[in-house]
Amino acid sequence: MRRAFVITSTVLLVVFALQFVFAAVGAFTKPSGDGAYALHSLTGMALIPILCLLTTLFALLAKAPGNLVGLSLVPLGLTVLQALLAMLSRAFTDAAGASTTVSLVVGGLHAVNAIVAVHVVVAVATRARKLAQPVAA
Amino acid sequence: MTTGTLIALDLVAAVLAAAGWLAAGGLSAGGHSARRLSARRRWLLLALAALALLAVVGRVVTTVALARAGWWFAAEKVVIAGPLSVAGAVVAVIFRRALAFLFAGFASAAGLLVTVLHGYPASVGTGLLAVAGVLGATAVASRFFGRSSERFSGRSSEHLSGRFSRQFSRQFSRLTSMAAVVALVAGAGFATRPGPSSRHEHAPLVAANVGEPTKRFTLTASIARDGAWAFNGQVPGPELAVTVGDVLEVTLRNKDISRGVTLHWHGYDVPNDQDGVPGVTQDAVMPGGEFVYRFRADQAGTYWYHTHSASDIGVRKGLYGVLVVRPTSITGVDVTVPVHTLGNVLLPSPTVGTVAPGTPVRLRLINTDSTTHRYAVTGGPFRVAAIDGRDLDDPSPVRDKALLLPAGGRYDVTLVAPAALHVDGRAVWSSSPSLSASPSPSWPVLDPLSYGAPSPVPWSRFDRSFTLVLDRGLDLRGLLPRYAHTVNGAADPDIPVQVVRRGEVVRFTIVNRSLVVHPWHLHGHHVLVLSRDGKAATGSPLWLDSFDVLPGEVWEVAFVADNPGMWANHCHNLPHADAGMMLHLAYAS
Repeated sequence: MRRAFVITSTVLLVVFALQFVFAAVGAFTKPSGDGAYALHSLTGMALIPILCLLTTLFALLAKAPGNLVGLSLVPLGLTVLQALLAMLSRAFTDAAGASTTVSLVVGGLHAVNAIVAVHVVVAVATRARKLAQPVAA
Repeated sequence: MTTGTLIALDLVAAVLAAAGWLAAGGLSAGGHSARRLSARRRWLLLALAALALLAVVGRVVTTVALARAGWWFAAEKVVIAGPLSVAGAVVAVIFRRALAFLFAGFASAAGLLVTVLHGYPASVGTGLLAVAGVLGATAVASRFFGRSSERFSGRSSEHLSGRFSRQFSRQFSRLTSMAAVVALVAGAGFATRPGPSSRHEHAPLVAANVGEPTKRFTLTASIARDGAWAFNGQVPGPELAVTVGDVLEVTLRNKDISRGVTLHWHGYDVPNDQDGVPGVTQDAVMPGGEFVYRFRADQAGTYWYHTHSASDIGVRKGLYGVLVVRPTSITGVDVTVPVHTLGNVLLPSPTVGTVAPGTPVRLRLINTDSTTHRYAVTGGPFRVAAIDGRDLDDPSPVRDKALLLPAGGRYDVTLVAPAALHVDGRAVWSSSPSLSASPSPSWPVLDPLSYGAPSPVPWSRFDRSFTLVLDRGLDLRGLLPRYAHTVNGAADPDIPVQVVRRGEVVRFTIVNRSLVVHPWHLHGHHVLVLSRDGKAATGSPLWLDSFDVLPGEVWEVAFVADNPGMWANHCHNLPHADAGMMLHLAYAS
């Protein structure tokens, strides 16, 4: 189970890294449009939440200490927040759909939150690996 | 403050509450190895809890304000999210230990998820599932933190340590787990009760013989060399210009569009079997196939046509064109301006005319995109003579005001040269090369609900009323789960058909609970706008087929059921329609 915890948390980290790539794909797709971010949205709203839940599940099954289990739940919360920030940014655009100061600030928080989330996932994956190491040496 | 802003602020408050409580819980649980929290941590904890408490109070305020704007906006917040987060806050304030903060966090987060995932209608099933989630998460957390958590008030928690506390924690965990399972089973039972079935199969009524065609067109859909999908190799497709009284015959052929093609006459209320909705009024025309549309053009005005098969991608890639029905005599210059975003090309490309000053001009503005566009006229005053193909009564001259056209909408603007037209700040048409004035982005927007001369509403009562609550929600009824755009909590094809009888006066109340604009479009009928946000329309009677319902807005519109058949009734932001925001209106036989 500890191995499974290591594997899921590492996969989660890799998918998070890929998610940055997909965001860049969206930003550089020409012509731009809602469709440009299809891969990014799908990963963020389906794949990442599932992997987050799996990570927590395996943390529980691996009998990880309470605060590590708690930490493993943080990426899920941040992912929900991330989707909300994207929606709220769109909600604050003007009547013709153009960006406003508020929508850009909220959009910027989407990036900040992403950085925070990656750091948390790195911490989870690192501690999962430590947990899996034999106590010897 | 608009209701739309309130909806967004309410979400922000919910996020802050959940984040504040969870962080406070995590902080006080994380410090369990130390006997007491350090002073700095205590301050941080206090700040986080205060922030969360403030956010909960804020959410109470936004919820009350939303309930005043309309029960639709607040139902699930009053019934589910509110009680949960208030209970959480009370527990957190009383017990002030890790588990209590976590409970408050789970309660706030569950309330937030209910709003975001299945806000309307608030149901017993959703409520029970939320409670199950909160209890389940608390039970799991209590296994880890129940024992070790410490009140941060500074008082000793000595008495709860040791065996007693361990036993209490185990008991507590077991009890909450059991309650969670009961709530989960009951909630799942309520949530999966089969809804009313929704069947769209229907034999379209065959239109009466409209007589010998006087105008014939052939439109052949194919993939152009540059990847666009085009009618007769051009984007937009050929302009179908006819005169009132003409009988149109349009032969549609499909060369190689594998998703199928149809023609929908957007805004022209044709008989049902000419409406071009695949699977409802006809089969899509597949490659090699053909369909002949025939109808009489009695209603002068500006319309457009587009494919309704795979309509999102089809229209976006170029399967659209102008249908204009002109009166028998026209004076001056008559220009159609169909605006479209074809990839990164903005259509139409700018036109500079050589119109003599003093010449009357009619600009027929058409928004063929899925989102709203902002139009502005410079050079002199103008009038909005017609909207959605229906003349306005006594339109007054306007200047220095912008026009917002919803997706699918049309405005006929009349003016006297010289003048220029701008779309989203881009010059699109000007009567002569010398015009250089550009519009200001701060111009106010002309509100058609208070423009022109009013007339009384022609009906004193309504035979039938429907409410359409637009939102987003999790749709689990399909093969794959999706985050759908929903109407009354359901997504196409699971939205019940709304049934009317011929001759009835039907009222729609359309409520936008979501964070995005929904341009509403009913096929086969024009609706008369009665009110917006409870304020009656005071301008010229507005008979629309496409209108933007902004976040937080409530529109009341009515129409006479005088065109029998099965009609699509959907959001004309076509990706939204694809993602579930599409229902049908049927006539009882």
